[in-house]
Amino acid sequence: MSGGYRQQPGASRGTTRKDGKRVAGKQKFPPPGSGGSHPNMAPRDLDWIPESVGGNEPQPAGSHIHDRYRTGTSVGKPRALVDSHAKVTGQAWYGDDVRLPNEIIGKILRSPHHYAKIKSIDTSKVEALPGVLAVATGQDAPNTFGVLPVTKDEHAMAVEKVRHVGDLVACVAAIDEATAMEALNLFEIEWEVLEPVFDPKKGLEDQDEPIHWRGKYHVGKTNVQKRVFQEFGDRSLVEEPSASSHGKWRMEGVHHGFTEPHAVVAHWDPNGRLQLYTPQQVPHYAHRALSTVLEVPMHQINVIRTFVGGGFGGKSDPFPHEMCAAILARKAGRPVRINFSREEVYWINRGRHPSHIEVKMTADEDARISGFDIDALIDGGGFASFGHVTSYYNGVLATAPYELGSFHYTGARVWTNKPASGAMRGHGAVNTRCAVEVGLDEMAEQLEVDPIDLRLANLLPPHSRTISGFRITSNGMREALERVRKGSNWDQKFRQMPLGKGIGIGCGFFISGSGLPIHWDPNRFPHATVHMQIDMDGGVTVHTGAADIGQGSTTAVAQVVSEVLALPIEMIHVRSHESDTSPVDLGSYSSRVTFMNANAAIRAALDIREKLLNAAWEMIGYHPDVLVLNDRRIYYKHDPAVGVSYLEALHKAQEDKGSLIASGAYRSPPMGGVHKGAAAGLAPAYSFSAYVAEVDVDVETGLISCTDVWAAHDCGKALNPLAVEGQIIGSCHMGLGQVLSEKMVYGRTGHLQNPNLLEYKIPSIHEMPNVTPIIVESSDPEGPFGAKEAGEGPLLPILPAVVNAVYDAIGVRIRELPLTPDVVWKAVSAKTKSLDGIDSTDLPAPRLTHGPLQATLVERGNEHKARDKKRQRSEDTSAYVNGVLFGFDPERPMEDQVEGWRTAVEPNPEQLAELGLAGKAWLKQEQRQMGGEQ
Amino acid sequence: MVGEAHVSMIPTTPKKVWSANVNGHAVQALAPSNAILLDVLRDEVGMLGVKRGCDLGTCGCCTVLVNGEPRLSCLCLAGQVEGDEITTVEGLSEGAHLAPIQTCFATHGGSQCGFCTPGFLMAAEALLDSNPEPTREEISCAIDGNLCRCTGYQQIIDSIEAAAEIKRGDAPAPTPASNPHPNPHPEGPDQPSMPPGHAR
Repeated sequence: MSGGYRQQPGASRGTTRKDGKRVAGKQKFPPPGSGGSHPNMAPRDLDWIPESVGGNEPQPAGSHIHDRYRTGTSVGKPRALVDSHAKVTGQAWYGDDVRLPNEIIGKILRSPHHYAKIKSIDTSKVEALPGVLAVATGQDAPNTFGVLPVTKDEHAMAVEKVRHVGDLVACVAAIDEATAMEALNLFEIEWEVLEPVFDPKKGLEDQDEPIHWRGKYHVGKTNVQKRVFQEFGDRSLVEEPSASSHGKWRMEGVHHGFTEPHAVVAHWDPNGRLQLYTPQQVPHYAHRALSTVLEVPMHQINVIRTFVGGGFGGKSDPFPHEMCAAILARKAGRPVRINFSREEVYWINRGRHPSHIEVKMTADEDARISGFDIDALIDGGGFASFGHVTSYYNGVLATAPYELGSFHYTGARVWTNKPASGAMRGHGAVNTRCAVEVGLDEMAEQLEVDPIDLRLANLLPPHSRTISGFRITSNGMREALERVRKGSNWDQKFRQMPLGKGIGIGCGFFISGSGLPIHWDPNRFPHATVHMQIDMDGGVTVHTGAADIGQGSTTAVAQVVSEVLALPIEMIHVRSHESDTSPVDLGSYSSRVTFMNANAAIRAALDIREKLLNAAWEMIGYHPDVLVLNDRRIYYKHDPAVGVSYLEALHKAQEDKGSLIASGAYRSPPMGGVHKGAAAGLAPAYSFSAYVAEVDVDVETGLISCTDVWAAHDCGKALNPLAVEGQIIGSCHMGLGQVLSEKMVYGRTGHLQNPNLLEYKIPSIHEMPNVTPIIVESSDPEGPFGAKEAGEGPLLPILPAVVNAVYDAIGVRIRELPLTPDVVWKAVSAKTKSLDGIDSTDLPAPRLTHGPLQATLVERGNEHKARDKKRQRSEDTSAYVNGVLFGFDPERPMEDQVEGWRTAVEPNPEQLAELGLAGKAWLKQEQRQMGGEQ
Repeated sequence: MVGEAHVSMIPTTPKKVWSANVNGHAVQALAPSNAILLDVLRDEVGMLGVKRGCDLGTCGCCTVLVNGEPRLSCLCLAGQVEGDEITTVEGLSEGAHLAPIQTCFATHGGSQCGFCTPGFLMAAEALLDSNPEPTREEISCAIDGNLCRCTGYQQIIDSIEAAAEIKRGDAPAPTPASNPHPNPHPEGPDQPSMPPGHAR
């Protein structure tokens, strides 16, 4: 680095001998004290400093409150993940890589029955087997747990009955794996087999023996775990529509397919504290559940998150095998390791819910979307898991990005005797989003307009409110649509390609962090806390509970700290593995980590920054307002020669106090309505995305191959563009799997047929299209440096984009996922049959002639574009709520807008007769209303 | 699960000495004659960088090089490779010097959660050893036995392309903006300028 200012006198001198060899201890990275690998300060990099504070970085979406803390060090630069070197050298330690001295191996006995009562378990033969050191059954841990406090319905091992094949029955620990496997054969169990339920439709009916019993809240005697009814807006608008779409969808369950099988190591240390090593996305929930099940206070448990070999939602529940390991280790007095086989991974599941979704949509004569009517029946499997939330997300996350006249949602989640469904990337929103976007495509066809223009003319603007009361802040939906349209050359391709080639559009909308921390009052405790400490050496240690599952959250936290303090990222050390050292954090779900933890980290770093600036003020006499922080140096704005090194300032600040410590927290602002379920789907910010997919469909075999994807995602501000692009491409991969090949196949007998990676078909490299990631930056006012999520939202649009592209290619609408060749071929056959048995190669490819509405929509879209730009840049700060497009006055509360507008969370008696599939759950009463069990 | 008659899982095969050359070092381990290479490498030799993903040869996480050829260690008996040269991910770097393929996986986003990374690295290394100038199509074919759930493969191909360039000498090895680790031999691994106490 030439032209910089020397950090510390002598730091680079005398490091080499005359013979050219380096002197031991005088390494290129200078000895402790000088901070950084270069002796001189790097010049200020104006290209990475925003316009609003005098730099060159363009800000089309306006300035941001964090701009003044930008130092051009890290934010916005493509960076390798800070833990990438551990990963490429094989030194990253995942669950199975934790090896403790004297460890023994645990194995789990799993249920062979779908649904059965356990009458007795005899373990005497197991215990007699030489080499067996501990045996445990459900009786050893009768307390229930669950990821959500409202639905604690799991046990460490089955206490009274097993609820699916593969449910945990007992566990055993032995000196080696072979002995433990042998021991599993020696359990003697007397079963009383019960009648299982596999079809979620059947789960809506009364049963002799419901899978769980919720006491007075139980719905009749059914297997309904959760039912939701929501209605907003003016239902009279849907009468006499000029276009409508009615689709009944069947979506199969899919699994996360992370490459690392679950593994856990439990060790009770000599002080009697539990040290539990587990690849967890949400170590804190596991921590809570362990405490409940083991009846040990939380402070006597240290949950150590190992590296996580992929999560995607599948490692966010507290798992029964974690309890089993702890119980076995306590009994045996030795560390116990449990590794899952790939098959066991599917037994524990928590993948996406198999769903029956029915969507009715209408548009009025001006091509405004007058109504969404969604009915989602989702198959929850044996346990509740995150299902309470999933039931809401299936509806409420469809309320944007479009302005709606009315919204009606009925949802039900039903227990069945299958492995439990749970949270998976794009939690709850993916399936309905697909159904809705395909419906829009169909309506656009009826209205004779371009589907992109239909969307552009119906978008909610930035800084607005959805029909269900969600607060939209930044909104890059329009830019995303425009950029994929241009990038994909849409206007030259759509409805113009030959049979078998098609192009389709899909949009997405997702939460960036869940607005409510489920275990505590958000008005009293923060969502995320970050601790920071700098000792005399100048290195910054950051303690956070943010669980890096490969998405790069540790890197994001290190980056923002590096940015605020103007230190090289190598000087930031993020400690996030142990619950002993990290502040409580909700972990990696709801796409919250970067948004919330980076915000908390910025606050902590600002505290340190202030201390450093004050110290420099004392030393050189210039007020902090005229001081500049740049690469390990603080100096006077108008004369960089007048300044102090970072370490000098640091040591000054440390006088009398010792190491600098700071704590930062993030709390979301109060948001949302007051209706029941208003909290579901609330988030401090929302991400938006639009994808265009191009496909080749072989009309004779039904084989689809997706060739190109243009993927635009609004992530607010890309802190690390390399990671954001990786997330976008990876989301495409996962979504493509769901739409084209992946499904959990349950046979007629209810058995899972494909619990392995051979028959559960994750796209290989040859199925991947060429993805062009497009990053849209809308600069969210609340995000850290403007950032929003990029982990889950990018998955949503790929499904509808592919389904719509298939229609464009062959003119057949298929509403059954995945679109495997047999499904496509069947649909094609039905179509050719309806066309007098023509050959499938003679199918007419759909064509579009723009109708009179097209010009109206383009005009409205352009008007809205001008409106959105003003609102995005805060030049127009007037209120905007969903409904303005329909003539409502945004200044008045939604409820007294017009007659007919309502917010309802329970059906009217007259509605009961016309409810959809999931809506039928409302035909039953809860036990308390029936005077049943109290 | 519960069966009337079953075959005991406890092996009766006695353990015997297994020897091979792992990452340039002769190793010996006690293992039963039906031991799987993956188990021996992980549990006996201690090469935990070899990952177990599926045990069925479907994910490729356990790929190692046997005499320079990529092989799935979960589908290979240890006895089959007795005396052979085995390279695992731990053997790619030369002391503190990462191999180009490793550096490029880090800098080009080829690794997210990192669990499949060792397998991809080994498959890619074998490709680059035999084909210094692979096309994207050839790279795809070389790594199609490996599954990655995070990256969508695109950045993995980018990483391998970049590594090939460096390996051929068409591009300089990337230098990080600031290097946290002292390079123990700035003149290359052959220059004996190690600081005391720095293990090779």
